[in-house]
Amino acid sequence: MPTRKQVTLFVLLSLILALAASLAQAQDPVRIRWYVGLGAGTDAPLVAAQEAIVADFNESQDAIEVVLEIVDNAQAYDVLSTQIAAGNAPDIVGPMGIRGRASFPGAWLDLSSLIEANNYDLSDFDPALIDFYRVEGEGQLGIPFAVFPSFLMYNADLFDEGGIPYPPSAYGESYVDWEGNEHEWNIDTLSEVAKILSVDINGNDATMDEYDTQNIVQFGYGSQFTDVRGRATLFGAGNFVDAEGNAVIPDVWREAEQWYHNAMWEDYFMPNAVYSGSEIMGGGSANWFDTGNMGMITIHLWYLGWGTANLDAAWDFGPVPSYNGATTAKLHADTFSIMKGSENPQAAFEVLSYLLGDRASDLTSLYGGMPARLSLQSDFIERTVAAQSEAYPDVDWANLNWDVVLAGLQYPDNPNHEEGMPSFLEASARYGEYGQLVDNNADEDVDAALDALQGDLQAIFDADM
Amino acid sequence: MDMLTEFGAARGQAKWSLRAQFQLTGAQRDEAKWGLLFLSPWLIGFALFYLAPMIVSLLFSLYDFVLSAPDEARLVGLDNWRRMLAEDPNTWEALFVTFKFALISLPIGMVAAFLLAVLLNSKHLLGRNVLRTLFYAPTMVPLIAAILIWSRVLNPQTGWLNQLIALTGIDAVGMDGLRWLDDPNLIYIAYTFIGLWGIGNAILINLASLQGVPTEMYEAASIDGAGWFRQLWSITVPMVTPVIFYNLVLSVVGLLQYFIVPYVLNGGNGYPEGTTNYYMIYFYKQAFPFQNMGYGATLAWFMFIIGLAITIFLFWSGRFWVYYAGESK
Repeated sequence: MPTRKQVTLFVLLSLILALAASLAQAQDPVRIRWYVGLGAGTDAPLVAAQEAIVADFNESQDAIEVVLEIVDNAQAYDVLSTQIAAGNAPDIVGPMGIRGRASFPGAWLDLSSLIEANNYDLSDFDPALIDFYRVEGEGQLGIPFAVFPSFLMYNADLFDEGGIPYPPSAYGESYVDWEGNEHEWNIDTLSEVAKILSVDINGNDATMDEYDTQNIVQFGYGSQFTDVRGRATLFGAGNFVDAEGNAVIPDVWREAEQWYHNAMWEDYFMPNAVYSGSEIMGGGSANWFDTGNMGMITIHLWYLGWGTANLDAAWDFGPVPSYNGATTAKLHADTFSIMKGSENPQAAFEVLSYLLGDRASDLTSLYGGMPARLSLQSDFIERTVAAQSEAYPDVDWANLNWDVVLAGLQYPDNPNHEEGMPSFLEASARYGEYGQLVDNNADEDVDAALDALQGDLQAIFDADM
Repeated sequence: MDMLTEFGAARGQAKWSLRAQFQLTGAQRDEAKWGLLFLSPWLIGFALFYLAPMIVSLLFSLYDFVLSAPDEARLVGLDNWRRMLAEDPNTWEALFVTFKFALISLPIGMVAAFLLAVLLNSKHLLGRNVLRTLFYAPTMVPLIAAILIWSRVLNPQTGWLNQLIALTGIDAVGMDGLRWLDDPNLIYIAYTFIGLWGIGNAILINLASLQGVPTEMYEAASIDGAGWFRQLWSITVPMVTPVIFYNLVLSVVGLLQYFIVPYVLNGGNGYPEGTTNYYMIYFYKQAFPFQNMGYGATLAWFMFIIGLAITIFLFWSGRFWVYYAGESK
């Protein structure tokens, strides 16, 4: 039997241990989870760089410990929704575009009160861009981080092979063809150039009667890494839902979809579904421009570097063509947001401030975005050229036409092509099915398929009411 | 003894024997404890990772539960079940797609595995061991990698399957050729091809069973004048029915859960023309991408009930066609 003395000693020791444990716990830093996956940041080279930024922050103070969680984009949406459902949501999510944000309606924290409480300085941002993240009924869901303008990229070697002049070097400039004739740089001109750049196995191009559509080895134009809304925006901005919540197909999008279908299945200057999965277009990786068999693409800033890593050809930027006299260079805009489920919103905001403040320059260079901070925009090109030259030294980055990239910011799509819709995920899946249908079938009636899409979208929207 | 007394005595005896059945000696109790101890990891795992989630998912099926808004979940009773059974045509279309594919794929897969096993069991086959290894080897390739390879093999333009067919003079290559993954008439054959790539396990099980058939039976049949096919039909097949039954049950359950191939090939969008909108794809889309976990759980339970019913039916039917050597009836 233990003596009274022993029991007292045991109780005292327990108390001391418990006190020490609680003191240690009190000094434990607050853990803030940063979730990467809904946008850029999941490629292998970026992982280490993001980890370094996290390490820097963690070493700079003792109060907060940031934990980085990187989930591959294909799984990131499912993983995040499961974490939210399990009450285990991360604190910060980003970078992410409008699509990422719209996929989780109601899950984001309104930052207004934190911005006010922390006297966060928003004067370094374009007010219009701040409003871009103010969602009716939900509040200020993000602080501007980076924008990714779109532009045309062309393979200069293929233009040289075809004996045709390059696209214009600035918005508003005409295209001067091989006979010296001037043409407006619009969809029609692009189509004609693209046909000449599309070549079959015997060297015939798409303007010739002998063009063998069963054996094409090179295409003139492609629209990749985007969805139906994104590609249709080349013809003008729009959305599948109007202000009253009705499903609509904008007229310019009908025209765009007809043009894409003809480009794939009548004129054969753009890869249809059969060619897009073939070895000619990169097979499984399906990075068309990188194969060297693609004349022109429209793409965003985030494509730079990795997108042309294997391309053994000279290339440059050009302006996005106009349609009916109007130019629309669709825009991607990324931010970081705090989740409503965060247990430490103040600490999360401190981390957010660090990422969007002290480290904004590093992170935008990392993700290939143009900083939303006005103070960082002036030397953006220099920093990008330096970063890309280091990572991909085979390209003469300094002599590319960067002016046309920046000029694209003057023609953003409004409404944005990633804008929300009722039952966003279900509606997105439905128009994805439409895209696959028309891209795969030569005989598909595009108008009828769009009518069917509109009907189905309306049913999805109605079910959401 | 009158009838009532007799009945009472019989009842008492039955009770006694039941009690005796559960009355264990000390050694038996020790043995039972050890047995339970060794089983406990599995039992705990089953309870934590299967039983509990199943019960919770049954509760989910009674809620309107959106994954990204768990705080807004509300009890809707049997609304999800009504929607699934009476209002949502996609449920029945997805079931139809699943059963249609199963009817094509199941017989082909099972017959192919059995015949290949017979071939690999033949004494007359040269390089038997090498061939056995080669037929089993694809099973060791990770499924996702195999599917991605197949998507290239089946490409209408540059896939080698069409290139190979074209050597026979058939116009198989290109946009007007055989578009395996785009043509609703070819899609199930293409998916069955991909499925055949992984039948190594079924071949192996069939092969083990074939090697267990007593050779005396073939010798006797041969003396009686039975040819190869007669021996196969009247000796081999009946003797391996337990393995055929086992493969059948596993295949049916596997096909009801068919998911990975369509998900990897087209992201689960049902292409072409909804022919690959399998039931599990539809369930996954509802539960995760569309975040309707309440409705997704209902779909999952419906599939569980269907799977259970089919399995019970198969076990019931087994008594008429499965032969267990040494079993007394």
